[in-house]
Amino acid sequence: MAKISTSDFKKGIFIEFKGEPNQIIEFQFVNPGKGSAFVRTKLKNLASGKVQEFTYKSGETVEEVPIMTREMQYLYKSGENYIFMDKNTYEQMTINKNIIGDFYRFLRESELYQLLILEDKVIGMRYPKKIRLIVINADEAVRGNTVMGAKKIIELETGVKIAAPLFIKKGDLIVIDPISGEYIERASKDDKT
Amino acid sequence: MKTWQKIRKNQSLWRKYFIREKVIQAIREFFIEQKFHEVETPLLVPSVIPESYLNVFATNLFDRHGNKQRMFLTTSPEASIKKLLVAGIGNCFEITKSFRNAETGSKLHNSEFTILEWYRINANYEDLMKECERLIKYIYVKVKSQKSKVKSVGEKSKVNHYKITYQDQEIDLSYPWGRITVAEALEKYSRISFDKIITKAAIIAVARAKGYSVNDNNSWEEIFNQIFLNEIEPHLGTHGKPTIIYDYPKPLAALAKIKASDPRFVERFELYIGGLELADCYTELNDYKEQKNRFLSELQTIKLHKKIVVKPDLDFLEAIKQGLPTCSGVALGVDRLVMLFTDSVSIDEVLLFPAKDLLGV
Repeated sequence: MAKISTSDFKKGIFIEFKGEPNQIIEFQFVNPGKGSAFVRTKLKNLASGKVQEFTYKSGETVEEVPIMTREMQYLYKSGENYIFMDKNTYEQMTINKNIIGDFYRFLRESELYQLLILEDKVIGMRYPKKIRLIVINADEAVRGNTVMGAKKIIELETGVKIAAPLFIKKGDLIVIDPISGEYIERASKDDKT
Repeated sequence: MKTWQKIRKNQSLWRKYFIREKVIQAIREFFIEQKFHEVETPLLVPSVIPESYLNVFATNLFDRHGNKQRMFLTTSPEASIKKLLVAGIGNCFEITKSFRNAETGSKLHNSEFTILEWYRINANYEDLMKECERLIKYIYVKVKSQKSKVKSVGEKSKVNHYKITYQDQEIDLSYPWGRITVAEALEKYSRISFDKIITKAAIIAVARAKGYSVNDNNSWEEIFNQIFLNEIEPHLGTHGKPTIIYDYPKPLAALAKIKASDPRFVERFELYIGGLELADCYTELNDYKEQKNRFLSELQTIKLHKKIVVKPDLDFLEAIKQGLPTCSGVALGVDRLVMLFTDSVSIDEVLLFPAKDLLGV
């Protein structure tokens, strides 16, 4: 592991915090009244997914955790495990549901994903910025919640059900936020990558 | 897209800036109603009060013969206003720009920002705690009364018990506000007794036991503030009421007077609302010898930290020697106050030309 200073902080890098790998998801500088400079970070624990804040002294050093990403294709589900394959070497890897987190609901067969590797072990997954999935069922209308605009439950090609606006139809391609798992917008079909 | 371009496309974006106008007008009215003098002080000066924790902007002034003189942009109007207090202005205030270098990459700082400073003669910091409460409530009423005019006709325009919402927190601005000393906050939120961290060796031991990474090069202030920022600040002004935290440890004295009843502390307070640090106040130090010692020690720290070496404002020291009247003063971040009243998460959102736009980052 390499030591880095707070001036090397970037969003997305991994550092050791309380002995565990954490991802910097946000950071900003702060100066308390009549005080030195500090760096306030939001850290996401890779293992637990728990987000916490920590403020470093400006210039303080921390260990950067050398996490690599490896692009792998999702093949199929087997019980609580998900099987991925490296398209170049055909090497297969079995990854437990816990490592993927809630994102497992959006895994699409034969799609490529970025897996996070530490010392040859898969420890997590880098989520795509946006998820695009096709709606396979959009009948169910939900009552209530009219304040936020009427919504209904739709089913996506991976089998997951989420809430979406009433105008969404079967066959639509929609965009979902990978962190919250919520509907963002309807995408045009040409958008599909 | 620059802010002016965004506003051109979406006129409703003016809303925050019009609230900003209201806030600044209200501040002015508050002090003028109380017969305070509004003063103007220079931004470009040949010397400053040495403050080791700040980075100043330095530039050059050339005379007509091309001779160069080093000049600085003020980090606050404090030095000049105190000279006016010595000259006999009496109660006064200023709303002006201040400049702090190396403060980019933050939601709370902009290198050029708007500051309010006011000074009240024959007052101590406790008097100004009350004045802060009155000022914020006064601004609230002015800003809200303007807003309520656009409410629907049927709705009664009530003052809503001085409640505002900031970042999903409801904050009640009615009196009394929360008050806690630094030592009490350490005890309550960090389980640290102030007696156990008085020396540098002691605070290093306590910080290490808590898991902080500290070394001998870290100053007492850095270690204290790291504990403060991690363990105490998140509780200030976030429990539904503003918080005034007061009686700062002597190493964080700045220009505050030492507390007569307990010289380990100085008569200084900070105001927090909704987690925003809004204002800093002192019973002003008017002891020439003590002021001179702090000057020298700050100058040494500046050299030690290899920061821009400033020319100390000896004219200011001379003024203190001649006699600063008993007074207290508050410095308040106007942009942050506007953030509070417009429910903005970042200072960029309340500036028409944020550094972000100007620097293109």
